[in-house]
Amino acid sequence: MRQTQPCRQQSTRFCRQLFFDRAARALSCGAGFVSLATLAAIFAFLALLSLPLFTQGQWDSVLQTVWRPFEGRYGIVPMIAGSLILSCSAFALAYPLGMGVCLFVLGPGGGLLRRATMGVVTFMTAIPTVVYGFVSVFLLVPLLGRAFGGRGPSLLAAVLTLALLVLPTIVLFLHGSMRETEERTRLTSAALGFTPLQALLLVVLPGSAAGLRTAAVMGWCRALSDTLIPLMLAGNAPQFPDSLFDSVRTLTAHIALVVAMDNSSPAFHSLFACGLTLFGVSLAAQAALRPRSATSGPMRGRTLGLLSFMAARPACRALVSVWAVLSAAAVLASVGALLVFLLSRSLPVLDLRLFFGDTPILAALLGRQPVWDGLFAACAGTLALVILASLMAIPVGIAGGVALFQYLRGPWAAALRFSANALAGVPSIVMGLFGFSLIILLRHTVAHEANTSLLLSAVCIALLVLPYTINATAQSLDTLPVDLRLLGPSLGMTSWQSLRRILLPAAGRGILGGVVLSMGRAAEDTAVILLTGVVAHGGLPRGLFDKFEALPFTIYYLAAQYQSAHDLAKGFGAALTLLALTVLLFCIARALQGRMEREWKH
Amino acid sequence: MKRSMHFAALAALFLFTCTAARADMLQQFAGQKGKIDIAGGTAHIPVMNEAAKRIMTVNPDIRITVEGGGTGVGVQKAGEGLVDIGNTGRALSAEEVAKYGLVSFPFAVDGVTVVLNPANAVKELTAAQVQDIFAGKITNWKDVGGADAAITLYTRDEASGTREVFWEKLLKKGAVADKANVVASNGAMKVAVSQDASGIGYMSIGFVDATVKAPLLDGVEPSQANATSGAYKVARKLFMNTKGEPQGLTKLFIEYVTGPECTDIISKAGYIPLK
Repeated sequence: MRQTQPCRQQSTRFCRQLFFDRAARALSCGAGFVSLATLAAIFAFLALLSLPLFTQGQWDSVLQTVWRPFEGRYGIVPMIAGSLILSCSAFALAYPLGMGVCLFVLGPGGGLLRRATMGVVTFMTAIPTVVYGFVSVFLLVPLLGRAFGGRGPSLLAAVLTLALLVLPTIVLFLHGSMRETEERTRLTSAALGFTPLQALLLVVLPGSAAGLRTAAVMGWCRALSDTLIPLMLAGNAPQFPDSLFDSVRTLTAHIALVVAMDNSSPAFHSLFACGLTLFGVSLAAQAALRPRSATSGPMRGRTLGLLSFMAARPACRALVSVWAVLSAAAVLASVGALLVFLLSRSLPVLDLRLFFGDTPILAALLGRQPVWDGLFAACAGTLALVILASLMAIPVGIAGGVALFQYLRGPWAAALRFSANALAGVPSIVMGLFGFSLIILLRHTVAHEANTSLLLSAVCIALLVLPYTINATAQSLDTLPVDLRLLGPSLGMTSWQSLRRILLPAAGRGILGGVVLSMGRAAEDTAVILLTGVVAHGGLPRGLFDKFEALPFTIYYLAAQYQSAHDLAKGFGAALTLLALTVLLFCIARALQGRMEREWKH
Repeated sequence: MKRSMHFAALAALFLFTCTAARADMLQQFAGQKGKIDIAGGTAHIPVMNEAAKRIMTVNPDIRITVEGGGTGVGVQKAGEGLVDIGNTGRALSAEEVAKYGLVSFPFAVDGVTVVLNPANAVKELTAAQVQDIFAGKITNWKDVGGADAAITLYTRDEASGTREVFWEKLLKKGAVADKANVVASNGAMKVAVSQDASGIGYMSIGFVDATVKAPLLDGVEPSQANATSGAYKVARKLFMNTKGEPQGLTKLFIEYVTGPECTDIISKAGYIPLK
């Protein structure tokens, strides 16, 4: 009797541990498949709602070259062309620039300037898209107008801005893979007597072929899926452009502009065909990326020939160096101009009145008096949105990342990884369209009171940032040293115990960093909330089912339709506020991830 | 003397009843709670905002959200029940009324005018010239008496009621060239044309200010007075619409905007109140 007691205790404890282990496994795997389910749901919605085009035989009217809905012509071909032309032009500009920046950063010396350049490029990822757009409207468009005559928005303005927007994506992918190759081959290159530039051209670039491709695909996808830049800068005419100064409309901008059509009209259904096209392209890009990057070896053939040709000639080498310096200078100058312009226009107008108007601050903060003419409600709305979306995305995302790292193997892991990457590639306007159509469907079926609201926006934003959290968690766990991973099992811990007591605390900073980054993404997104519940004027949201104001939308709205100098000042103030918020989140994330890296790097 | 005394007394009485009525209208919102969501016509936004501001200042428990999007959004969202009031810058079609069961409440008269950049030398256009310009047949300002510069067209998206009125009454349903830039609201049209020296667009007369110029159309000045008198033909009414007869707060709001107390808001926004 005396002996069995502790035995039984031990066995119940063991049972409990086993139960926790099973539960954790089930929950995290379940969470992991939220992304897969979302992907399937988005596809189902887009397909379902574009189906009437097929069944009612209007498919050929969508595949026309003319969009004139009042004549029954719903052609989306000009928009497809617009999307392709804009994204390819921006990519054609950004990729060589990005390559130049990378060569500059990795080039001989490794001085402070090079590190600073990389720092600036990384910082660019923290600048919200709508801020790029806003500054371009007031800086770039007038400049282009002065240089080329008094035209307004144009393809050129959108191309330049979009190139700057996608540049950091390209540089970060390029730099990551090239630096890794460079470190791996440094001794070899030195032994062969290569100069640093020759090493870059002859060893590093050919050795990073897969990374170059990934950077290209990711950069192009980012350009294709952006909504705000074309919407604000490209002019939105549904035509085939003849020159860089013409106006174009992209698929993404088209969805944002036309979603107001009658729900049963072919025009409305054609939007889902647009969404389906975008969705298909981003999915295909992901699919194309995966197997190749896994199997492809170093580059061969003509490209390699060209590289060795260049490396062998001093003139070409000098040209490459000049190009690298020029690209870095161009990027630094553009970002500098953007920041200086924004600060010089927004700092003078920044005061409490800008946020609270004429309302007493305490009364406004307590929600006793509505704020007119101030940014307070927009700030509060954005904050509420970020918190709500994080509350949903973080637990699910971390659990999904854990499942990917610990519990899933083989095809299931591959499926989850693919779905997370594919979900990350879904354009945010498509996510917004999904949310909007979800509400329409709910209203017509089970929940007749369902409406666009803070909750809907938060859910859609959460789904948008979910893949970032999943990937950040899985990556942070993956980078832990092997002995830490083995420590738990060697002590006889269950996998849940090992995760909870050893691995998660060790990877905590990295995970947190990823979480904070995704909060920054949630704060800046405009395209999703555009379709799911944001309003221009509404005051503080009182509950989950209220519509709300948000900073990025306020910036977008005021850029296009400020009615007074005060409105314009408000726009600049809002841009600076949003930038400050995303930069703050970005800095916290970097600090956390940096510390995690230092802790576990050998 | 006595007559003038009488008159003064009458005037005072009239003023008193007026202010009493004013107070009454806003008083009705006291003690109420809830929200009104408004979306649609962008010409309506200044009026809606000011009315919302007055009501919410008297009673912070009421929450009124105002969203633009254009007439199409007003019809779609009110029709689907996504908002309480959907604004339209044109009368609803019989089809829209039948499909959604919308009820309309007009509150103001507004003209739609062609607008140019103030730097443009052109002071007058004929309807035929405007039609040719928007169809893309006239592409240079020198052909209509301006400087030698290519014309940039600005039009509105399909959801715009202003676009429909302009297209029906001025363009006579003629084509708008595909190359025209598309902007999403009256406010955005004003900003776009004010920034483009060779731009031409069209918008609500209520939005015209010093940053844009409204040329004479066939010799008639596009003003709200001319729109009301009928001398300027490209005019419409501004409507609020509800799905079925309005109830509760929504009903109060509509009574407030169409009532005597809102006329100053409507006039200040640049429209002619219907009452």
